[in-house]
Amino acid sequence: MSTTLFDNRKSVIHRLNPVTKLIALLAIIVIVFAIPLWWVAGIIIVVIVVPAAVISGSGGRLLKLSLRILLPILLVLFIVQGLTFPGGTTVIWQWGIIDITSEGLLFALGVGSRIVVLVLASMLLVLTTHPGDLMSALSERGMSPKFAYIISSTLQLIPAFRVRADSILLAQQARGLSLKGSPFRRIKIMLPLLSPLVLGMFTDVEERSTAMEARAFGSTAKRTALIPVPDSTVQNVSRWVLIVLALAAVATPIVLGLL
Amino acid sequence: MIDLADVSYAYPDTDHYVLSHVNLKVEPGTVTGIVGASGSGKTTLAKIISGFIPHVDGGELSGSVVVDGATIADVTLSEAVSHVGLVIQSPFNQISGAKFTVREELAFGLENLGVAREEMAERVTAVAELLGITGLLERSPYALSGGQQQLVAIASMIIMNTPVLVMDEPTSQLDPGGTRMVFDVMSSLRDAGITLVVFEHKLELLREHADIVHVLAESQLIASGPSRAMLADPRLEKWGIGSTRFTAAAAAARDRKLLSKDAELPVSLTDAVPEFRAFAAKKGA
Repeated sequence: MSTTLFDNRKSVIHRLNPVTKLIALLAIIVIVFAIPLWWVAGIIIVVIVVPAAVISGSGGRLLKLSLRILLPILLVLFIVQGLTFPGGTTVIWQWGIIDITSEGLLFALGVGSRIVVLVLASMLLVLTTHPGDLMSALSERGMSPKFAYIISSTLQLIPAFRVRADSILLAQQARGLSLKGSPFRRIKIMLPLLSPLVLGMFTDVEERSTAMEARAFGSTAKRTALIPVPDSTVQNVSRWVLIVLALAAVATPIVLGLL
Repeated sequence: MIDLADVSYAYPDTDHYVLSHVNLKVEPGTVTGIVGASGSGKTTLAKIISGFIPHVDGGELSGSVVVDGATIADVTLSEAVSHVGLVIQSPFNQISGAKFTVREELAFGLENLGVAREEMAERVTAVAELLGITGLLERSPYALSGGQQQLVAIASMIIMNTPVLVMDEPTSQLDPGGTRMVFDVMSSLRDAGITLVVFEHKLELLREHADIVHVLAESQLIASGPSRAMLADPRLEKWGIGSTRFTAAAAAARDRKLLSKDAELPVSLTDAVPEFRAFAAKKGA
């Protein structure tokens, strides 16, 4: 059983240095949130994220995982903003006291497109980057190994959490717990399962930290790597270009008077 | 190799001493078994020998703990792990999660110590050969069985050239095949000169591999002796440790005068076969 979402393939995207991918992700997030135009996010999805997903070969998993996260968020966003956006005057659909305004939908589109970029790009990083490579690459650049491990192990948390939750649920179902009924009833049933889940995770963390310390994780020696994470001059230049682009994106709305 | 003198310990925020006036000497290159009922303090003692107490868990520790010439309380944890390694119960939780193959996983501890790449590669090969896991080197640590994962955890400790290895119930989460795998490796480790301290419930297997066995009960190492004599001791029942089926069967046979009252009780099948053969021969005569 793997505890990561990493999708092991040999694509160009997988082979990129993790720091390059991390900086690309951060630059994309800065750009879409700095420039208040929904179509900028649209262009980034069409020109960068989708081709990268296709090249990586992980597009199918990306779509499946992202839809699970995005569908409820986008649904709530469009309903709430479409109906309640303050200052919405252009009514495009009306039913009784309910008005959906174009201003509300446009606002939802602006926020929603950014969330889509954020989720797609982050999930693509998770799917194409092994946590260990990310940790090694960050450590090589002087980041504290403990901090690097926290970042990389966060990527492992969701599957590990799900595996433990599944076993607790199975154990309770074996004792006759029924999950049938209204959503409210199901939530009520699930709440008591949280305490064994959280306590179990604490035990795991303690054991894992003991095992890590037993392997000199707390050592202050300068770390070496059995297999160094590959990097190149082109990637190094690309990283700086991405940083400049992100900074330019922050300046653009000020220069163009979009704020 | 290990010398614990008058060691007592209480966890933080409690006055209760889990261990009280414990003394233990372990000779180099031996396999020492420690048995005790659940909650008797086995994990605590394992953590004390390996330096996690007091360096990580804190609490009140008195007495002296010397392992491989190092006074554990006086060195840092990073230094302590170069003298003594610790293998815990869960094989899964010992995988770093930071490495893609077993080869890289084995090298993780060496990377932390800043060992040169060429030396790391050599040590990975050597330790994999010692433990018979060369065939696993290119596999993902998560794709292994529990027994194989535990071998990788043991190899991850041995690779750091620790002369002492403490194993805290290393087979408690393994199936019989995995359990056998881990115990078989103990012979190779002993042959390689590594001193082993094994905390275990599986008395039959411990009998086959341990030279000496100590009993942990009532917060103390209450009894000790050669593995067969100690593990067949009837007092183990009183201390909540129990006995093996061979010991129980032979004790019942002795009570019914089917075996001599001086006969040494067997613990494992290997012990039992000659005893029962002798009985059968006597019966036949």
